[in-house]
Amino acid sequence: MATNGKIRETALNTYIKEVGGAVAAQLEACTRCGICAEACHFYLATGKPEYTPIWKVELVKRLYEQRFTPLGRLKVALGLAKPVSEAELREWVEYDYHACTMCQRCSLVCPMGIQIGDLIHMARSGLQAAGLTPEDLQQALDNQLEIGSPLGVDDDTFDERMEWIQEDWEVDLPIDKPGAEALLVFSSIEIMKFPDNIAAIAKILDAGGIRWTMSREAREATNFGLYAGSDELETFIAQRVIGPAKRMGVKRVIVSECGHAYDSLRFRIASLMGETLPFEIVHITEVIGELLDSGRIKIKPGVLDEKVTFHDACKIQRRGGNFDQPRQVLKQLAGDQFVEMTPNREEAFCCGGGGGVIATKAADTVRRAAFTVKIDQVQKTGAKKVAMTCSNCRLQFLDCVDHFALDWEVLGIAQLVADNLVK
Amino acid sequence: MNWTDAMHFVRGPLFSAALLFFIFGMLYRLVTVIALGWKRDHAPAKSSKVVGGVLNVLRSAIIFPFVPRIREAANRNPITYLAGGIFHVGLFVVVMLGAAHVLAWESVLGFRWPTLPLPIIDFFAAISIIALIVLFYNRLSNPVLRLLTRTPDYINLLVVFLPFLTGFFMTHRLLLPYERIYTIHVLTVDILLIWIPLSRISHFMFYFITKPRHGARFAQRGAKP
Ligand code: SF4
Ligand code: SF4
Repeated sequence: MATNGKIRETALNTYIKEVGGAVAAQLEACTRCGICAEACHFYLATGKPEYTPIWKVELVKRLYEQRFTPLGRLKVALGLAKPVSEAELREWVEYDYHACTMCQRCSLVCPMGIQIGDLIHMARSGLQAAGLTPEDLQQALDNQLEIGSPLGVDDDTFDERMEWIQEDWEVDLPIDKPGAEALLVFSSIEIMKFPDNIAAIAKILDAGGIRWTMSREAREATNFGLYAGSDELETFIAQRVIGPAKRMGVKRVIVSECGHAYDSLRFRIASLMGETLPFEIVHITEVIGELLDSGRIKIKPGVLDEKVTFHDACKIQRRGGNFDQPRQVLKQLAGDQFVEMTPNREEAFCCGGGGGVIATKAADTVRRAAFTVKIDQVQKTGAKKVAMTCSNCRLQFLDCVDHFALDWEVLGIAQLVADNLVK
Repeated sequence: MNWTDAMHFVRGPLFSAALLFFIFGMLYRLVTVIALGWKRDHAPAKSSKVVGGVLNVLRSAIIFPFVPRIREAANRNPITYLAGGIFHVGLFVVVMLGAAHVLAWESVLGFRWPTLPLPIIDFFAAISIIALIVLFYNRLSNPVLRLLTRTPDYINLLVVFLPFLTGFFMTHRLLLPYERIYTIHVLTVDILLIWIPLSRISHFMFYFITKPRHGARFAQRGAKP
């Protein structure tokens, strides 16, 4: 962390280091048309122009212009350029950490195809290096680095929780079992808050005849390095899964219902490490889809006789492509009672709690405001049951259901499948 | 210098200089961006990145100007969407298919292609001019755009507006004698050519990097860009 007086320097140096061709091309391509604002639930819910996606990278952009473009350099030489100040960096903490889940919805409406969510992730990197990460997010990151878990799941807690789940849910949770073909990794949210999800996934994998195991060493897939915006820490944390998985010689790493872990492990980590991984990384939703398609598991048709809708998670659906499997599950379980929200699939609104926003207390107000967009969508379907494939979304839904006193039931797809397996 | 000399100057040496500045300026911009380095992507793709990239560019040229990718978002800011779209279509038609412009292209490139009749070109020029005025007004009135817009963005609008306006006057023999308005028209084009590499109007070049990249990234992740 940067000491006082070094904050500005550290942040700006981090930005300069992170500017590669892809970032530069995107910053150059933006025409400041402002259309991206209309895609972002944080802007839509608050009407605050500063929540316009591209404005969230304004400091990076200004710095880029001043350092890398001819006209910008000329302005600096003539003393006409406005330098990025420490006060501004502090101001942008709100825009980058509180009001963005890096859901990438804005990139779909940007006429130039700019990956604004990725740029905001980069905007976070400088703030993180300078020690401006929101306090609780930083605390969770420190916990993860020191104890191995943002929620403080140390070895003893882990063992206790797993034993308790095995007994109460009557499932077998193999840990470090030799010869397993698949390694199952969880998010700390599931370990601490949704233990039933762990039991559900175990049941599905057993029913599907998969030789799987968990690992004491590689037990947490959550990655607060990703939230904070530090590629280095993200890689360091992900190594705790990648390393053991390599040593165990598994063919697959199955990520439970955690969107960010999936995004990081499936799409980011290999590039950050600069190597191709010797195993596949899949989301549990993909595994469920495969097992249903191949007939290795069956679920009871028509058991849900009330309207149910599906929430597309930004990291698992829009950024992960797993659109069809959860729909396949819901269509089988609910038939005609399964109704879509509009817009959905790629175009879906994110829940507003991702990207570490839900772990940031100072963001509570804006996070819940963003959720009003979702409330509107769900209410239009008339459904009282909302299913999803991401525990982080689920946490946000549960918090907001409580906060807004909604009479919804929030469901996880894995749990729905496990509860309705045909034996 | 009289108007005839001025005319010869703006369409002769000044135009050549502006064109060279444009070409080398754009090349410089492109090279400096590419030279910043590109990381290799090691994550296995869910569907072909090349196909995704190409399809996305095609779709965004043929479909998205008329049917927005997320309709509900475009509906919230129809002015930017429509005026922006109309301007770009108008620009393309006037600059690429107008008879006088095709002659100018021929003098630079050495070959020509079919043109559209003047009334059609004139129509597109007129709607482009209106679109530019709307876009200008929009930048002044929409709170998001007010926040995002800087002086160079207004200069961009002006520098693009002037060739359109003078071209329109010229076609309709308005305001000034032909030779003078023609001279001014070519001068505004020269200014535009010089301004493009210095400004964000150069976005059309970076478009061919960012748009396919967007398509490729979404395809890699198994989603429709
Ligand atoms: S939509 Fe794209 S081009 Fe327009 S302001 Fe936003 S990032 Fe820039
Ligand atoms: S990535 Fe999502 S949350 Fe972030 S600015 Fe874009 S639309 Fe808003």
